[in-house]
Amino acid sequence: MTQRILVVDDDDALREMVGLVLSGAGYEPLFASDGISAVSIFSESKPDLVLLDIMLPGQSGIEVCRQIRAHSGVPIIMLSAKSETEDVVLGLEAGADDYVVKPHNGVELIARVKARLRPMGDDSQRVSVAGLSLDPKTFEVRRGEQTLSLTPLEFKLLHTLAVKPNQVFSREMLLEQVWGYQYKADTRLVNVHVQRLRSKVEQDPENPKIVMTVRGHGYRAGTES
Amino acid sequence: MISLFRRSLTARTVFATVFLSALALVTLGGFLSYSLANAFYQSRLSQVLFETERAVSSVQNTVAAASLTDETALQTLINSVVPSLEITDGAATRQVALLRSPGQPQLQLFQSPISIDLDLATIPEELREEVRQSQSVLSYTSVAIFRDGVSIPGITVGAPLTIPLAGDFELYLVFDLSPEQQSLELVQNALAIAGIIMIGMIAAVSYAVTRSLVRPVEEAAEAAQSLSAGMLDRRLPEKGEDSIAQLAKSFNKMAGSLQQQIQQLDQLSRMQRRFVSDVSHELRTPLTTIKLAGEVIFGNREKLDPALSRSAELMQNQIERFEKLLADLLEISRYDAGAVTPELETQDLNAVVGAAIASIEPLAKSKSTEIRIALPPGAVEAEIDGKRIERLLRNLLSNAVEHGEGKPITVRVGQNDQAVAVCVSDEGVGMSRSQLERVFDRFWRADPARQRSVGGTGLGLAISKEDATLHRGWLQVWSKPDAGTSFRLTLPRHRDSVIANSPIALPPEGVEK
Repeated sequence: MTQRILVVDDDDALREMVGLVLSGAGYEPLFASDGISAVSIFSESKPDLVLLDIMLPGQSGIEVCRQIRAHSGVPIIMLSAKSETEDVVLGLEAGADDYVVKPHNGVELIARVKARLRPMGDDSQRVSVAGLSLDPKTFEVRRGEQTLSLTPLEFKLLHTLAVKPNQVFSREMLLEQVWGYQYKADTRLVNVHVQRLRSKVEQDPENPKIVMTVRGHGYRAGTES
Repeated sequence: MISLFRRSLTARTVFATVFLSALALVTLGGFLSYSLANAFYQSRLSQVLFETERAVSSVQNTVAAASLTDETALQTLINSVVPSLEITDGAATRQVALLRSPGQPQLQLFQSPISIDLDLATIPEELREEVRQSQSVLSYTSVAIFRDGVSIPGITVGAPLTIPLAGDFELYLVFDLSPEQQSLELVQNALAIAGIIMIGMIAAVSYAVTRSLVRPVEEAAEAAQSLSAGMLDRRLPEKGEDSIAQLAKSFNKMAGSLQQQIQQLDQLSRMQRRFVSDVSHELRTPLTTIKLAGEVIFGNREKLDPALSRSAELMQNQIERFEKLLADLLEISRYDAGAVTPELETQDLNAVVGAAIASIEPLAKSKSTEIRIALPPGAVEAEIDGKRIERLLRNLLSNAVEHGEGKPITVRVGQNDQAVAVCVSDEGVGMSRSQLERVFDRFWRADPARQRSVGGTGLGLAISKEDATLHRGWLQVWSKPDAGTSFRLTLPRHRDSVIANSPIALPPEGVEK
């Protein structure tokens, strides 16, 4: 079955061009030209991935991202004309899994899309960490009777750390193992996702017990206590 | 104290005023007290002379009137007359002495009468000499009388006296000037107190006047200082019509026009920076489309005929160049807007240099240029933004490869207590002095006629310079035509250390000067 990708961009030419590149790689593109139609098209057609421009007329890409994230864990890749920290961080905080700065090339774009559409965590076992139990088959995280809802990427991040609780993961290692990047990517991706993850799973995100920071090195899972 | 003087105009003025008026007052007081003393002395002197004359003539008359028959009668007479000239009570005492002139036959029994407490030192020998020579005239001198260990001014008046049977005598009257002395002291004390009060008042008045003049000047100086520190809305209060008010008005006018011009320039440059940034962003979306389209065409160039295929290649290369240019333009506009903050981390400079060299190696190989490395042993740790420094070094290296004409390139790393440094030297064409001056200018190229093979954007060194400045470091260049060019980057070891000198000389040792 061909995977469908929703391309949200207000620039007609770029939208069409991105569609051509995606078709060339074997995906089926869907299109939306503004933020409001993007949300409605998303809920009608349930695409497998969303390519979302940040600067959109009507409703910004960040707002669209937030609305989609409210009821779906589908991978979202932000497209930004600005590489300044605030824009990127805002997009990631709104729930995007990754971002690409314009002007990007087709190969890079397809690589990112592929990485996000790769199935996650099918071969792994149930693990538990600091009072949480993770089920890789259902992407479910439980604390006692309570179910926490994580996006697949957040789940993968937590799972990767939890499987080897004694290992410290550098940001670069996490980019490779969680995001599937072989090349140098922005380590801010990791920072923002760890923050987002903590806000969902930690009882006190200011004082984390599950995703611990190892200063100067990276992160590790909290030990059972 | 001295620094207060140098600093405070008020202190200086008050001190000068007080010093000069004290000088004037002392002179005036001295003159007054001298004239008063003189006047007291003169009036007392004429009184003294008058009294003496009377005393002398009364003695003479008495002696002449008496019919003296023998020494005993004379003694009795003298003993009754002379002591009566004495005044012992009251403030102004008078003592008396009748002395026999020397050089006469000795009298058997006669005793010269002398006041009991008279100090003979008050009748100096010079006076006696003068009296003996003057015959009938009065002679006087001022003397110091010691009484109870205190010296009191006095006048001794003497006159010659001839007594029948007994011969030549001298009559001396010693007058005490203590009442005059007391009056004089009283006046002098009054003068001194008045002088001190006067000086105090002068100090107060001069302080008040100076303050009232200096204050506005100080205010103006302060305002000028805060103006130059960037507080452009600082103004002076304008009161009255005098020259101080004039100063304030002119100052405010100057500040106003300065503020207006600065704001205008500021707005203009902000607009310009904004424009560059906006243009760069606006260009990105169409560039993305062009790039994606170009890639599709380029990826399928085998299916095209040779001319179209070559066109696709050319287009692809130029799109890349365009993209680089746009990225650099955006980067420099961020610097211009002051929107760049370095992400400082303690890193090993050797490792950063190594990474930069590794990424330039393929280019160097393609130009068959050897890169020689001189690194100090161990880690060269410094707080730097590794990404920016690596980019900067890559840029210096690619410039060196481009202008090095295939001759070896040397990279040196050095360190001292405050600073670390990297120097990239080539042995290529070098630059003239006038070219050197413009080397960090935007879009400037050493030789426009030269073929561009590496295809820099023309912004590389300008960005490098900004990166060095961002680290509060130096990027300096040395060059000599046909000898080569050396770029030296010096960075502070810690974010708060200040570079005093670079660990590497420029040009480095071993480079032909």
